Amino acid sequence: MSGQLPPPAWLAALASLPGMGPARLRTVLSDRDPEAAWDQARFGALGVAEDLSRRWVMAARQIDVEALWARHQSAGIRVLSPGLAGWPRNLHDDPEPPALLFARGDPAVLDRPCVAVVGTRRCTAAGRSLAHELGSDLAAAGICVVSGLALGIDAAAHRGALSAAGGAAPAAVVGTGLDVVYPARNRELWDLVADRGGLLSEYPLGSGPERWRFPARNRIIAGLADVVVVVESDVTGGSMHTVEAALERDRTVLAVPGPVRSRASAGTNALLAAGSLLARDATDVLVALGLDVASRSRVGTVTGPGGSGDQVLDALGWEPATLEQLAERLGTPLGPVAVVLVELERDGWVAQRSGWYERLR
Amino acid sequence: MLATIESAVVFGVEGRPVTVEVHVSNGLPGFTVVGLPDTACRESRDRVRSALLSSSLPWPQKKTTVNLAPSGVRKQGAGLDLAIAVGVLAANGDLPPDAAAGVGFVGELGLDGSVRAVPGTIALVDAVRAPCVVVATAAAPEAMVIGGRAIRPVRSLADVVAALRGEAPWPEPPPLPPTAPPDPGPDLADVRGQRVARFALEVAAAGGHHLLMVGPPGAGKTMLATRLPGLLPDLGDREALEVTRVHSVAGLRLPAGGLVRRPPFRSPHHGSSGPALVGGGSSWLRPGEASMAHHGVLFLDELAEFAPSVLDALRQPLEEGSIRVCRASGTATFPARFLLVAATNPCPCGDGGPPGACRCSDRARARYGRRLSGPLLDRFDLRVDVGRPASGELLGGDPGEPSAAVAARVAGVRALAAERGTGTNAAIPVGRLDELAPLSAGAAAVVAGALRAGSLTARGLHRVRRVARTIADLAGRAEAVGEEDICLALQLRADPEVLGAAA
Repeated sequence: MSGQLPPPAWLAALASLPGMGPARLRTVLSDRDPEAAWDQARFGALGVAEDLSRRWVMAARQIDVEALWARHQSAGIRVLSPGLAGWPRNLHDDPEPPALLFARGDPAVLDRPCVAVVGTRRCTAAGRSLAHELGSDLAAAGICVVSGLALGIDAAAHRGALSAAGGAAPAAVVGTGLDVVYPARNRELWDLVADRGGLLSEYPLGSGPERWRFPARNRIIAGLADVVVVVESDVTGGSMHTVEAALERDRTVLAVPGPVRSRASAGTNALLAAGSLLARDATDVLVALGLDVASRSRVGTVTGPGGSGDQVLDALGWEPATLEQLAERLGTPLGPVAVVLVELERDGWVAQRSGWYERLR
Repeated sequence: MLATIESAVVFGVEGRPVTVEVHVSNGLPGFTVVGLPDTACRESRDRVRSALLSSSLPWPQKKTTVNLAPSGVRKQGAGLDLAIAVGVLAANGDLPPDAAAGVGFVGELGLDGSVRAVPGTIALVDAVRAPCVVVATAAAPEAMVIGGRAIRPVRSLADVVAALRGEAPWPEPPPLPPTAPPDPGPDLADVRGQRVARFALEVAAAGGHHLLMVGPPGAGKTMLATRLPGLLPDLGDREALEVTRVHSVAGLRLPAGGLVRRPPFRSPHHGSSGPALVGGGSSWLRPGEASMAHHGVLFLDELAEFAPSVLDALRQPLEEGSIRVCRASGTATFPARFLLVAATNPCPCGDGGPPGACRCSDRARARYGRRLSGPLLDRFDLRVDVGRPASGELLGGDPGEPSAAVAARVAGVRALAAERGTGTNAAIPVGRLDELAPLSAGAAAVVAGALRAGSLTARGLHRVRRVARTIADLAGRAEAVGEEDICLALQLRADPEVLGAAA
């Protein structure tokens, strides 16, 4: 039965053994090829601790390598390994590289300059719109936008990158098996990124969204990127893991400044205070990448909607506010403010979520 | 000898006439009650015996059989005690024959011979097949709410016997206590700030729109809700009678005048069971909190903490204004037309107001949001976010408008709606929206924009128009609904993604 299967098939089988993390897989493969490793795993001859060895023997009996490989092929999933074609260039000298990567789509999109756009899942509308804009502008400038396909900033950056006509395709690194869409709400986006860009994971098919997988996933995002941009983040959270991993790898970290009272910007503001570079727009990121760009400032380029719309926008500022707060600041009854807000929302100046208004531009 | 006495038992909120037949004959002394009595009813044997002996009346040393007719219907409660006691006396020849003809008896006996009030006196008096009804003095105001019958309030069994023997006249009814103006309840003037929430409360009261309040703990949601009944007008005669009937059956304390004139306010705890909320019970079909809030306000605090099955049980009353409770022992219909006001935190941590401020995990938020079923959330016309007031408002700010001023506007709008023949604005049928709530050109443009943008559905549109009608009525614009009205209605709209709406 063996013999006809390519090395990646054995790799995929090895990766699906229980307790087979990247470090262990690297050790196992350090002095044997995948097929030989698999054979030894089946007979408990890999020289690991005895109980683990026994578990592998039990698990290996359950795995039909041929059928497993057929599943990968029918789902269009490739298995990349270090030193072989398709292995992302930035991972060659990674201190903690994955032992293999499962990939849907075209991993060659990572050959372009890569920028990780990351941030919190609980973002503000302003943050989401900024991430979208960054993603779109960077893609248009030929940059591969890398992110994690999470809700919030991640998804907005991906959507932005996909929205740029003729732009570079984005890549995503996810924390589940490539057949487990998480969060399920992002299924459509997940398929779009896979079809037009590259979708990567170090976890075998069927891996669920366990908590520990996401920080590990974040180190790959940091490793793949040339520059990391944090759009919005609290002082703790996944984005901060990405930043730590990026600093370990000597990647440049940029942060988007935000209102000092906003919890969603507490982390990015702290990064700036600690010396990260400022990311006001795509230009700042391109400069950090060392690319030569014509400067385009967004400040002052936007003209307001005019009339009472301007007044309400001024009263709103850049922090979320409720109808009541706005009427209070303007000193007017609720009705007229409500009328202006409906107009502003219709024209895309503000967004409303459960009673809170946020300025978008 | 045989005696037949008229009385009644409660079923649901209705009374059912019962004829108590007592037969005393020679034989081994004994006392049997037949005709499906429940435990309290069966125990009347011991109460009646002690009451007779305490009142120095004879207890027959013969075979006594009491039949409660119709015998196929289950009888519950102790309200038949007095009728059984009178029946025993009559059958034993201790009362003149025909003394109890045309007189019905409703009351429970104490061991000392005193007559006590029973829950549901209104329904019972209404059901008794006799032009004259004897009740406990304590229940007299309640019993006199139903006109058309002579009410004979008595304190003790001795009073009854004396009157039936013709030895003394029936005791005079106690003078009705002076009807003090009903307690107005907490005043809206106590609420500082909260302009939008106050406005939503006013709209809810004026149009009969169900209201959902979302906000962090300590924002004043409960404080606002308790002020809602104060904004509602007094109950009309028919409504007052319906409400009093339910409250009487449920054993709630009735106001001094006997009739409940102010809209009730019920706020069941979130641990309440389904039967506690909508009515039911295994032995006795009792009205639930939803029925006790009939023509008033049902306030569900911590909505997401209620068991989902309990909340879903509220969907029938919200739709139909009544609850049918079906049990093996029978089916009862309870009235339950209430204004639903609910309060909830936006998420488990309670801080999830402004975007980006919540500390909950997505999973926790989603789980919290799932606790509220879509069909229930769909019943809310209004949703308002209640924020914590600023400290300046709490300490300095001007007192708000008092309840009386708001209530006057509310009464005006309700009168308008009654003129239009729709009950309340919340009940305007879809077919009459164009006629009753026409849109001005500006309002139509706003609606068209919202529909195009996909932020408003057809169903949502109907509710927004009804709410806008109420807002326009409050502002004194009786004709077309203006742009401002529709925009405010959009602001107060309850979108289905109330909770757990993460990024």
